[in-house]
Amino acid sequence: MAAAATCGSGVGSSGSVAAAAGKSNITSFQRKGAKAGGTESGGPRLVSIAGTRPSLRNGQLLVSTGLPALDQLLGGGLAVGTVLLIEEDKYNVYSPLLFKYFLAEGIINGHTLLVASAKEDPADILQELPAPLLDDNYKKEFDEVYNHQTAESKIKMKIAWRYQLLPKMEASLHIISKISKPVSSSRFGHYYDASKRIPQELLEGSKWHGFFLPQKVSSTLKVEPCSLNHGYTKLLHFIQNIIYEEGFDGSNPQKKQKNILRIGIQSLGSPLWGDDICCTENCDSSHSLTKFLYVLRGLLRTSLSACIITMPTHLIQNKAIIARVTKLSDTVVGLESFIGSERETNPLYKDYHGLIHIRQIPRLNNLICDESDVKDLVFKLKRKLFTIEWVQDNYLRQERNIYPPGFSYLLKQKDSAWGEGSLQHSTFLMSFLAKATAFASRLVRHSEPLKQTGSGRIRQAAGPRLWQDGRRQEAPGLLGIPP
Amino acid sequence: MLDSVLALGGLVLLRDSVEWEGRGLLKALIKKSAHRGEQIHVLGCEVSEEEFREGFDSGINNRLVYHDLFQDPLNWLKTGAALPGGPLEALNALCRGPDRGPLTIALDSLSWLALHLPCTALCQTLHALCHQNSCPGDSSQVKVVRVLGLLHEELHGPGLLGALGSLAQTQVTLGGTVVQASAHILFQKPRQRPTHQTYWFSILSDFSLDLQERPHLESLPCPDSHTSSVDPMSHLTFNLRLSKKEKEARDSLILPFQFSSEKQQALLHTGPGQATSHIFYEPDVYDDLDQEDPDDDLDI
Repeated sequence: MAAAATCGSGVGSSGSVAAAAGKSNITSFQRKGAKAGGTESGGPRLVSIAGTRPSLRNGQLLVSTGLPALDQLLGGGLAVGTVLLIEEDKYNVYSPLLFKYFLAEGIINGHTLLVASAKEDPADILQELPAPLLDDNYKKEFDEVYNHQTAESKIKMKIAWRYQLLPKMEASLHIISKISKPVSSSRFGHYYDASKRIPQELLEGSKWHGFFLPQKVSSTLKVEPCSLNHGYTKLLHFIQNIIYEEGFDGSNPQKKQKNILRIGIQSLGSPLWGDDICCTENCDSSHSLTKFLYVLRGLLRTSLSACIITMPTHLIQNKAIIARVTKLSDTVVGLESFIGSERETNPLYKDYHGLIHIRQIPRLNNLICDESDVKDLVFKLKRKLFTIEWVQDNYLRQERNIYPPGFSYLLKQKDSAWGEGSLQHSTFLMSFLAKATAFASRLVRHSEPLKQTGSGRIRQAAGPRLWQDGRRQEAPGLLGIPP
Repeated sequence: MLDSVLALGGLVLLRDSVEWEGRGLLKALIKKSAHRGEQIHVLGCEVSEEEFREGFDSGINNRLVYHDLFQDPLNWLKTGAALPGGPLEALNALCRGPDRGPLTIALDSLSWLALHLPCTALCQTLHALCHQNSCPGDSSQVKVVRVLGLLHEELHGPGLLGALGSLAQTQVTLGGTVVQASAHILFQKPRQRPTHQTYWFSILSDFSLDLQERPHLESLPCPDSHTSSVDPMSHLTFNLRLSKKEKEARDSLILPFQFSSEKQQALLHTGPGQATSHIFYEPDVYDDLDQEDPDDDLDI
């Protein structure tokens, strides 16, 4: 339908195809394309785009989602060319915030934005973006927020001394030091102040395109079933035009400086887009949304762009559609706020605002995905910051019947490290011991096989997973790979 | 109570049911906004015009503009009194109408419209009505302040109720006990946490409201409170509360893997002269204590 059939020049292939090693009079190979910049020649240059970095695991190009904590949970960031789907919470209080963080990160890094909404005018959305955190004024407040350790927790641990080696959840601080000159920050992932608006000069210096559905679609046309919704078709055409005209898919080879296009689509699937999957269970156009996501993903894969979509999945009546939508997106994060649920009165959650579920992480050029084992994540919207933390909830775990195979769910109760004699420590130790016996008996082989088939390597061993600079190191398996 | 319902503006949903009828409350709200001096347009679909105007005094009746969909909804009689283009067009036309000033639209009932119109078109029209700044046009247009919609909860599935609820700024759910009616109002300001209030009231014959008890502001109710406040500290097999003496004793304990100087000395000075450990063994019945090597018998 509307898939971009543009050229095959992929990401980062701006340099020469055949590197001319020697002098030009010896070989007849020519460098393809003009060399950009004044640096001396010496083979193909690595293209580095502002605001991106290669993933530590497989070299995939990543952009930040605007929340460094979320970046860490997703394995470093959001891969370029993929879709991040946010499942909205029930009253739509917190998911617009994630949406705005993504867009604000794009403005700080100088990326081009494309904002599509059926509810609000994109200009209004951009006016409400959070301001980036400035320097030393906020540094002490930031420290107080993030390094909230009481005196008791600073006691060195005697029994569980290995847990002191764990890095904390929060990444290192990236604060923009000066805001007066154009922010050309080469860092990855910034912090934002949710209580302030972004300064006007940053907005005016940025490039953005808006798609507001009531302005683009004037009449309600009747479309036949099994084809794309009218609004979705328009949006796909709009995105494709922007990608083509501005050269995000490499179709304009004279463009010297590559840039990323950040697409944000708000409340996709709600009735305001003309889609009735939220209203009825057996709807006529149940394939509109899935087709849209499929075509969108095709557009994204062939261009330098990243997309965030918020979707009110709590309104979708047909659970099969939710499953299809999840499979068609790359990264799926769900928000579940505590407003109105019985967890609001639970004393364990009294400081938090909701649960955050990482439902899916893509396997891009990989056989395994970088999924964290920690399942009990909560978020909290403080006055300025949106934080994500671990919480230990035995009831929650029993509810979901999740017992991770290793002991890699290293859980820290907020505000206290593992002081001995505390409830968390004792119950963790008892459950540790209980599981140790169960796990150990699982691994013992009562009769050795004659020939070891397969690699024989157990992926997770009985040791804590060590996180170091956002990259996991796994403890070696109990059985080595056979020679 | 009516002031708080009308305060936020936007789409106000009145969710009623068979036991607790909402038309009285709708009329009370209409009366209140008429007293504020607003123009009121009513789209009547379920009851006739005479029945709707009954009970209002003449002042209100003059401010009330009634669009009748009840007599001839599908325009079979072709009298020309019916709304041209259907109800959606009528609603859109109100937005562009010649009147000036704040406008309240009352939908008598939103349920009727939801059953007869495609729900996406209905949602888009309601959204456009409530957010007037999206309508292209001159700024001196009529400003729709609020849309009051009467919704019968039992007629619709959870999907439509959820979709309309997500569009609404205020939702009033009627309920109550046998003797007393109550309204549970949910305020959803955009991008803020929703708050709610409950009022107990009764409506008098001239459609003014009589509040029975003081409203109490509370956070949203949990459907069933966390039943078992199970104390995790009970029934444990280990001691969680240590007395002071026990704490001191524990702190002074040297852990087995801690390498202190005394232990180092003990290990270094353990020579062959000091027999620090003994093994006591009592031979079993089947043990062969012969020290000879049994392989000596083999003739290899």
